[in-house]
Amino acid sequence: MESLKQILSPEFLLRNSVYTSVLIGFACPLVGVFLVLRRLVFMGVALPQISSTGVAVALSVPMWLGANPAHAEHSEHLLAFAGAMVFSLVAILLLAFFERRERGLPEGRLGTVYVVASALSILLLSKNRYAEVGWLDLLKGEIITIDNYDLIITATTLAVVLAMLALFSKEFLLVSFDRAMAATLGKKVLLWDVVIYLLIGVTVSIAVLSVGPLIAFGFLLIPALTAHLFARNMKQFFVLSSLIGGVTAFLGFWFAYEQDWPIGPTEVVLLGLVYALGFVMKKIFMR
Amino acid sequence: MPGSIISLESLAIGYDGQAVLSGISLAIARGSFTAILGANGTGKSTLLKTLLGLQPVVSGQIKILPPATFGYVPQAIQFDPLYPLTGFDVALMGTFGRVGPGRFPSRAENDFVRECLQATAASEFARKKFSQLSGGQKQRVLIARALATKPDVLVLDEPTAGVDVAATHALLEFISQIHEERKLTVLLVTHDLPLVKKHAQQIIWLHNGGVLHGSVAELFTPQRLAEIFEMEVG
Repeated sequence: MESLKQILSPEFLLRNSVYTSVLIGFACPLVGVFLVLRRLVFMGVALPQISSTGVAVALSVPMWLGANPAHAEHSEHLLAFAGAMVFSLVAILLLAFFERRERGLPEGRLGTVYVVASALSILLLSKNRYAEVGWLDLLKGEIITIDNYDLIITATTLAVVLAMLALFSKEFLLVSFDRAMAATLGKKVLLWDVVIYLLIGVTVSIAVLSVGPLIAFGFLLIPALTAHLFARNMKQFFVLSSLIGGVTAFLGFWFAYEQDWPIGPTEVVLLGLVYALGFVMKKIFMR
Repeated sequence: MPGSIISLESLAIGYDGQAVLSGISLAIARGSFTAILGANGTGKSTLLKTLLGLQPVVSGQIKILPPATFGYVPQAIQFDPLYPLTGFDVALMGTFGRVGPGRFPSRAENDFVRECLQATAASEFARKKFSQLSGGQKQRVLIARALATKPDVLVLDEPTAGVDVAATHALLEFISQIHEERKLTVLLVTHDLPLVKKHAQQIIWLHNGGVLHGSVAELFTPQRLAEIFEMEVG
């Protein structure tokens, strides 16, 4: 309990990491709900990895141009954020375009993009002499190195995403559930598709920069999959997903801090345990 | 044509600019009950999608006078059971055309949706999960959703697909009833000839790349039926 008191103290050295972790935990599942409902779970795996490759490419650009890497940490982070955003958004819009055409093998496309993006990240970092200087931490999502500036950027971005989700939830739901009905009601289906993909792309980018691709994937999908076991309506689905993500993020941080384990992986394993527990509880109590 | 709500003039319909059916010229009277018949692949769904504006016309014109609201009832089996939506949630979507982005249905709209569910004898499904309802129950909720759009034209795409015989009869009786009570124009795509004979007034019959349009009395004569089926088999 002593460690819990430390974590909750405003003087706690890693307080920005706690806040970021919990923010990502609450926000990611809310866009993850749409990935689950649209049966785009594998896209949830591929996108963080593509976003991560965007970071690697963006951070390599100065070296390719013969310039020294930006020494100011914030400009380096901005560059990384721009790379993550551009790669995420281009990838999600392209993949969604092919999804709409309903041709070919979507799983094959996503699988290929995922492995190529992973390999490209490794190649770029292995050929970059500055990679060891903090960049690996950035790509791994080293959550203990978050300063006030990163926290403000993360909180502001996620607040905008949440506001958009809350304001346009009925449009997002309608175009996801019944495109034909949406079109007959005069809704611009393509526009709303693009908006929702933009929100997913922005959330993935900010999550990848804060907590890394593996953990971003965990928080995008596992809370939503767990909540889906119990939710009886959409409101319950959103609230439950977000609560599972946020509370697990906090508990995972606390446990990792107490045991001196890596924070992100601890949180994802805890999410997996919560999912397994939920699955068993549903089988036993809700037959 | 006077009294018509939808006029098709030299219409060609299809995909990617390739016509599946062409030379369609007919008028659908306001307040009529029209069945769209035809074998699989003859273009029934394409015609419906084109009328609803979901598919661009290849050539020709569709005139809808005055601008009418369509209440669309798709096949219940097409919906993904993954969505945790109640019957009420699904029916409420009918109001989304009137409620702009960033706004939410008012209490009056919620009450109106409850009335629509009541009108389709679907009140008891309002709090149940839509994915767990039977085919006939889902269709009632979807018709309530279509009524919630305050439609001028009710468009039903094979509403009895996957529905058992007893529920099919009940559903068609019900559609006939709301057609008469609300003076709605009804467009029904179906394969069920006996039900068409009993409930429809007009028929649009698609076959061999052509379109026959007439009243039930005109097209359901033994001679015309023999001609049509001979062509379809041929």
